[in-house]
Amino acid sequence: MSRTADALVIGGGVIGSAVFYYLSKEGVRAALVERGDICSGTSGACDGNILSIDKEPGYDSQLALLSQRLLRELVAELDCDVDYTQRGSVLVVEPDARQEAMARDWMRRQKEAGLPMRYIEGREVFESEPLLARDVIGLVECASDSSLSPLALTFGLVEAAKRLGGAVYPRTEIRELLRDRAGSIRGARSSTEEFAAPRVILAAGVWTPHLAGTVGLDVPIQPRKGHILVGERTPDLGRRKLQEFGYLMAKFGQKGVRGVEPAMEESGVAMVYEPTGHGNFLIGSSRQFVGFDTQCDLEVLRLLAKRALRFFPSLRNMKVIHSYAGLRPWTPDHYPIVSAVASIPGLYIAAGHEGDGIGLAPITGRLLSEMITGRMTAMSVDPLRLERFDDGAEKSASH
Amino acid sequence: MSDDGIVCRCEEVTLGEVRRAIREGAVDVHGVKLRTRAGMGLCQGRTCENLVARILMSELGIPRERVFPDRVRPPVISLTFGALAGEPK
Repeated sequence: MSRTADALVIGGGVIGSAVFYYLSKEGVRAALVERGDICSGTSGACDGNILSIDKEPGYDSQLALLSQRLLRELVAELDCDVDYTQRGSVLVVEPDARQEAMARDWMRRQKEAGLPMRYIEGREVFESEPLLARDVIGLVECASDSSLSPLALTFGLVEAAKRLGGAVYPRTEIRELLRDRAGSIRGARSSTEEFAAPRVILAAGVWTPHLAGTVGLDVPIQPRKGHILVGERTPDLGRRKLQEFGYLMAKFGQKGVRGVEPAMEESGVAMVYEPTGHGNFLIGSSRQFVGFDTQCDLEVLRLLAKRALRFFPSLRNMKVIHSYAGLRPWTPDHYPIVSAVASIPGLYIAAGHEGDGIGLAPITGRLLSEMITGRMTAMSVDPLRLERFDDGAEKSASH
Repeated sequence: MSDDGIVCRCEEVTLGEVRRAIREGAVDVHGVKLRTRAGMGLCQGRTCENLVARILMSELGIPRERVFPDRVRPPVISLTFGALAGEPK
């Protein structure tokens, strides 16, 4: 059996769904294929942060800021409730002179890059976040940061694209990408069907390298595992989204700066607290390179709880009702890949967003649709090119 | 049963919402959970999971073993953050 589309998006997580939606909105006849159910991989096992605060000051944080603006438009466009709230977020600073200096510097550089940031200290720390540990000395706040339900967003994007005429094929696992004699992409094949499409977008997160490999292309994405604890419904523990300043150290892989126990450093445990739209809260985070295993590791869950208690002593008597782990698509320079593939005309990649996929989904979908319809992109996409990686070029001229 | 009937009491999910999730592509208990929040509350599906399973079986005409994905996430019963962190009582 053969099916056709002008653009075939592979991967039904938030990134693929956003690309599918923006293409459909532009009138491109798009199809989305997903090997399981929609939102059944990384986007169904993450949190819902839309953050600029933790991006590198400059291009990275401006990309996030633009995505936040697009998201507000998107929330109005999608005919569904995605639990969107804009409460802002803060980085919590511990009593450590070096950390404080780094936090103030981070705030200053982000402010220069155009983010709505300020440093909070003294009594105002506990007026705004009364349940924080009493030794906290400061908060770096970003007012534009927001959160939503990643599940509702992903399903909302897919349903909206379907209403615009997009076709969805769940439980359809692509086995290989197909090229024509000239080397251009011509579609993809599952075990039962062939999809003919002059443009194919790989949005399969941590599974992208495997698919790219079927046309001899090397994509340097690795799965980085992250655990999350779900807390019972409670009055807010924190009013905003909170994360320890040391989270930035864990994210960028800097070890030995925070003075935490070796096991925590090893599994990249750093406190992240997120109130959800339904009155529950999420506690993260961990970062581990342990392959494709998504089983929860009880020792990592214990460390998450322990680290959270350091910042929220009153969490002690609140209940953990659930836990989960997902695979974040990591890239060596922490930037996503939103790119045409120079060596294979018609092939595009939208993957490698690590823990920023939810927040960067709108800008990713928008940029990809602009690239495919040949319009000027809303931002320069040069830093997001696949070819920025030394070995990102085609391995061989197979097929 | 009417579409207004509550299926998941913790998250107040109605039969109509479960049926809509199935129309939008859910084929198992996990798919319904992700689309509606049925089973995400304090009891973690202990009460509603079988009901959701029965709705899936009758709407899709599929056997019971097809509607349960094989995944279990800790904790199996809820516990406090203090207990999980290994603190003495």
